[in-house]
Amino acid sequence: MPHTDQRAYATTPAWYWRLPSITLGLMLIGIIALVWMTRHFDDEKQRETLINDVLWMEQDLRFRLDRNEEYLAEAGQSLLSENEVSAKTDARIDQLLKPDTGLVQIQWLDSEGNTLGGRPYASEDVSVGETRGALPSTEDARLAQAVGRPVYGAAYPVLGDKWRFNVHVPVFTGSRYVGTVVGVYSMQHLVVRELPWWFSERYRVSVHDADGHEIAAKSKVEAQPGHQQYAIAFDPPGYGLTLKVTAYKAPTRWVPVLLISALVFLGGVIVWSLWQLRQHTIGRQQAEMALREQISYRQAMEGSLLTGLRARDMEGRITFVNPAFCRMTGFAEDELIGVAPPMPYWDPDNIERTRAIHDEILASGAPREGVEIRFRHKDGHMIDALIFEAPLIDATGTHAGWMGSFLDITSQKRAEAMTRQQEERLQATSRLITMGEMASTLAHELNQPLAAISSYSSGCINQLEKPLSDTAELRDIIGKITRQARRAGDIIRRVHDFVRRSEPKRESIDLNSIITEAVALVEADARKRVVNIDTQFAPMPLPVNADPVMLEQVAINLIRNGMDAMRDTTDRPRTIRVETFGEDRQVYLRVTDAGRGIDPEAAKRIFEPFFTTKDEGMGMGLNICRSIAELHNGRLTFEDNPHGGTIFTFSLPHA
Amino acid sequence: MMSTHAKPLTHIVDDDEAIRDALAWLFKTRDVPCETWRSAEDFLDAWTADRRGCIVMDIRMDGMSGLDCSNELRRRGNLMPIIFITGHGDVPMAVGALKRGAFDFIEKPFDDNALVDIVQSALAEDERLAEQRATQEDVAHRMEQLTTREREVMGLILAGKFNKVIADELNISMRTVEVHRARVFDKMGVRSAVELAQQLTLAGLYESITPEADSDA
Repeated sequence: MPHTDQRAYATTPAWYWRLPSITLGLMLIGIIALVWMTRHFDDEKQRETLINDVLWMEQDLRFRLDRNEEYLAEAGQSLLSENEVSAKTDARIDQLLKPDTGLVQIQWLDSEGNTLGGRPYASEDVSVGETRGALPSTEDARLAQAVGRPVYGAAYPVLGDKWRFNVHVPVFTGSRYVGTVVGVYSMQHLVVRELPWWFSERYRVSVHDADGHEIAAKSKVEAQPGHQQYAIAFDPPGYGLTLKVTAYKAPTRWVPVLLISALVFLGGVIVWSLWQLRQHTIGRQQAEMALREQISYRQAMEGSLLTGLRARDMEGRITFVNPAFCRMTGFAEDELIGVAPPMPYWDPDNIERTRAIHDEILASGAPREGVEIRFRHKDGHMIDALIFEAPLIDATGTHAGWMGSFLDITSQKRAEAMTRQQEERLQATSRLITMGEMASTLAHELNQPLAAISSYSSGCINQLEKPLSDTAELRDIIGKITRQARRAGDIIRRVHDFVRRSEPKRESIDLNSIITEAVALVEADARKRVVNIDTQFAPMPLPVNADPVMLEQVAINLIRNGMDAMRDTTDRPRTIRVETFGEDRQVYLRVTDAGRGIDPEAAKRIFEPFFTTKDEGMGMGLNICRSIAELHNGRLTFEDNPHGGTIFTFSLPHA
Repeated sequence: MMSTHAKPLTHIVDDDEAIRDALAWLFKTRDVPCETWRSAEDFLDAWTADRRGCIVMDIRMDGMSGLDCSNELRRRGNLMPIIFITGHGDVPMAVGALKRGAFDFIEKPFDDNALVDIVQSALAEDERLAEQRATQEDVAHRMEQLTTREREVMGLILAGKFNKVIADELNISMRTVEVHRARVFDKMGVRSAVELAQQLTLAGLYESITPEADSDA
């Protein structure tokens, strides 16, 4: 993957995080504005309601005052025109003094300002000091008479920290002023006590004098500053009184509070989750980065590998190949991915064997030491590969297939084969040299006594031809001849001793196991020569008393000879059949080739030492084989194969 | 004339005692006198220039080989013919030796009497060469006694010229030529020009005396 891409992945552009932040900020501002506006609207609304209510209250008060004025004026007509308070008037006064009117006392004055009566006659409340407007106030009465309308006096305190004010209602009969009816209002009664329940629940109502002192209040509890309040001049009593209405703290409106809290909470959640998301994304990016690094690291590793790598799924289809594998087989990656067996790189001459190996690996994995297999490169040349397989476990822990690594051991194998050949040649050569040296030494060693004998004998003959022969001298010489003959004999015996030293070590052993071993030893050679070895062993053990190494040598020799004989065989299967069987207290090894056979001339001499039909042969093989057979009290025979070729039969006594 | 310094002998040089003994017996039965040596070194130690006879020597021996020994002998001026006995492996070496002047080589196993025959011919050759050398020495010795004039005269005589011609050539009188001629014959121990020529030829000196003979013949 190119580097620039990786960078782009590594850092997110600034707007990626700025946009949600800005949006979120704007949203919060919006929410705050909305909340503020809602509250403001609520306040306005409340204030409006408050004002409305206050105006209503004022109106209500005025209405009551006006009505009371009318009743007082009506009552005044009766009170001032009658000498005695009639029952009807009395009832009317009682009506007027009902609590809901706010009046606590009614007095009536004549036109002179003298008190004619009052009900109740004396108030329990006594006015405090000389207060303007206190009862009776001739000034107010006169003013009332003058203006011809009810006149309200100033509020004045009475005992008990209460305030009162009076209304002077002038009474005219026709146009003649007859007196004044004074209604005494209790501020408390008027303003506070008779408020409708819903009003008193909502508001605190208080009356303040001109100095701002509270002179009457609905409740002792002070209104908290900041509460909605509204003040109007308390007129008609006038004289600077103020009626102040303060809204109680409005009952908390839970819905918007909850809504706002929810919004704030949700906003917080969004911020938190955004932050979490960011952390998560950063974590992911880091992980992704690390992964990317790992991948490129692995890709580099994989690319630099000389080992071919190939992954297969459980059905054997190729899911992955690395460049080295492509190089090894000559096929491109896309020619291999998804391909199911038989693979294009399999050796077409050996498909079945390859498939068997393949199936076995799929079933149970390759052995730890690897499997050797032969592949064909796309261009046709053969590759010897060593395969190691490991189960492929996917991210979920399931066994998803197999990962195989391939080592190209072609050159190694070639070198091995060459080394083996060279070794064989060297061994043959060294055997030749050894034998040559031995023969030369032997020849020289034997020459000496033989030459001496010859010379002694010639001398004897010369001497015997002379007329006078000295018998004693001749006897002496013949004695010497004998000694030299013994010397020659000694040399021969030493050679024999030497040979005898390597005589077989007999042990009881199964012929089958020896032959198995021998076949294993020549198998590689057979593969190289494209010869198939078909073995058919006796089902039961074939015990023989023999030297296993020697028997192995015989088997190898016979098989090799068979392969040599088939060098030019092309018209029939190049198969060597190796059989073992037991019969009549004898065990047999039979090696059948499909070669060119042995012509009758060669057949006569085939066991002769130094007789060979091969250019590089020494002519010792069959001779040695026969010697080994004889050493083991067995036989080595051969006959023509009726299907072409030769059958060698090696028999040994059953142990 | 035969050398009287030493009796001709066949020297058998072989490290194998049986071979030495057998060959000694063989030669004895053919009346060939012989002496045996157990090694080349022993033989070289005892060798003197005046020894006569021939050498029968094995090529492959412990210690010094027959070929090395023959090289050493040639370096020392040995005159005895050398017959090599060889095993089959030594044939090319033996042929090389033969080319460098060995008398013969004989391969084992050999026909024993044939070996004796070869030895005898070698002995004869040695004797012939010894005689030739003796004659040569004798003639050379006699020639040293000739004066310069006598040598000149001898040359002209061998060239087959008459006294008259010689006298003319040397600007001397016939009489003087006759005196010189008599002196030459006397000093060389011959009685005729033919005998003189024979003697010089035997000694191998004829041609050195008459360098111009070829052109005149």
